[in-house]
Amino acid sequence: MTESNSQSVPQPVNPDRYKSLVVVLTVITTVITAMVAGLGADANIRASIGNRDSQQYALLAAGELHRQGLQSAYDINVFSGYLTDAQEATIMQLTAGQQGSNSQVAADSLLQSTVDQARADTAQKFSVFYTDSRYAPKTSGGTPDMQAYLTDSTAAAKNLVTKQNAAADDYNRWNHKGDTYTSIMAILAVTLFLFGLAQALSPRLRLLFAVFGVIALAAAGFWTILVLVS
Amino acid sequence: MNNSSWTDSPRLDIIIAALIAIVSTTFALAAWRINMVSSNAGDASRQGILNGIKKQAFTNENWRQTYTEASSAETYAVYLAEVDALDASGNPAAVAQAANLRQYLLPNLQLLANPLATDPIYQNPDGTYNLQKRFDALEAASPDLRDLDPQASFQLADRYYAEQRWLTVATVLLAISLFWLALAEISGKRMRLPTLIIGAGVYGVGLVALAVIEVLFYFLRGGVL
Repeated sequence: MTESNSQSVPQPVNPDRYKSLVVVLTVITTVITAMVAGLGADANIRASIGNRDSQQYALLAAGELHRQGLQSAYDINVFSGYLTDAQEATIMQLTAGQQGSNSQVAADSLLQSTVDQARADTAQKFSVFYTDSRYAPKTSGGTPDMQAYLTDSTAAAKNLVTKQNAAADDYNRWNHKGDTYTSIMAILAVTLFLFGLAQALSPRLRLLFAVFGVIALAAAGFWTILVLVS
Repeated sequence: MNNSSWTDSPRLDIIIAALIAIVSTTFALAAWRINMVSSNAGDASRQGILNGIKKQAFTNENWRQTYTEASSAETYAVYLAEVDALDASGNPAAVAQAANLRQYLLPNLQLLANPLATDPIYQNPDGTYNLQKRFDALEAASPDLRDLDPQASFQLADRYYAEQRWLTVATVLLAISLFWLALAEISGKRMRLPTLIIGAGVYGVGLVALAVIEVLFYFLRGGVL
């Protein structure tokens, strides 16, 4: 009888049950939070560098476009001056021929033609379309390779724009990662809240909240790995 | 026996609590320093961008001046050729015209084409002008431009960013140390001392790492904190 009575008495539940487990989980979450914060800081540093580089390349590209515009204006101006003088020289020579060899008008036309030709010859020396072998006419009387000139003159600016785009893409990628790490840290904050709440509750509820916290912790860990490998 | 009583004593509790407080304070200080370094990096980057904008504005102006002078110099050279052709024609009217052009027009054109048309250092053997040399001279002649070095600011920013990264790694060590110290606080008597030693050891490593990072980057930045 005495034995039977002693068996039916319920054992008191230890109020500190699972407390150590929750403390360990809390500390693990703290360490993971510190690591995610570190990864977030790194992502933000890389985003800042990408942002800075993209601005710098945009500035350099704008400067190069400005310089290239000035150069093109100069080159085209010299070239058009050469063409005008060369054509005037030809026309004046033609006019002199039409006037007859002994007339004063013919002599004046011939003189004008000589002067125009001298101007054209000088302008030709200044023209990149005749001095640079990449653009100079390949045959006598041929035309300069304007397409090659256009391609070359915009190459430097295009190169800078390509670098600028790459830096901007870098910025976007790392900025997105940094934002995601912030979201993960929000989940970890919720996890810490759940573990903290668990400590204040009865053992059964403590276990339940600890399970919720572990699920949130696992989700945060999984998301962190996804972001890391992306 | 002695060891067992020592690990059970309240003194160890106090030591662990004090260590946790010290590590937490170190963590807070490290976080403050990381913030400061991050702010310095941002400032240096911003300064670099500002210097870049100013430098580009100077460079744009120097290219504009170079091509304006080049255009004037080319016009001068073409007129000079015209005057020479008139002179060489033998026609009295043309020779008189050349003399007038040489006396009244060419000096003014030469003035506009200065220094490309007047300074021999810019003249190529074929009679054309070395525009790159003229641009380089303009760049070198701008004292404000010489002081603007965006790359130096970017380099400084990169060093701050690198320090920020390493400081973050060191603070993760501090967090790990906190983990072990907290374990020591809740552990049974057997595990208490080993976990305390691990926690204190990791804290020591973290502290040394913080000091080394600070000193190393201080010298790398040329004595700038």
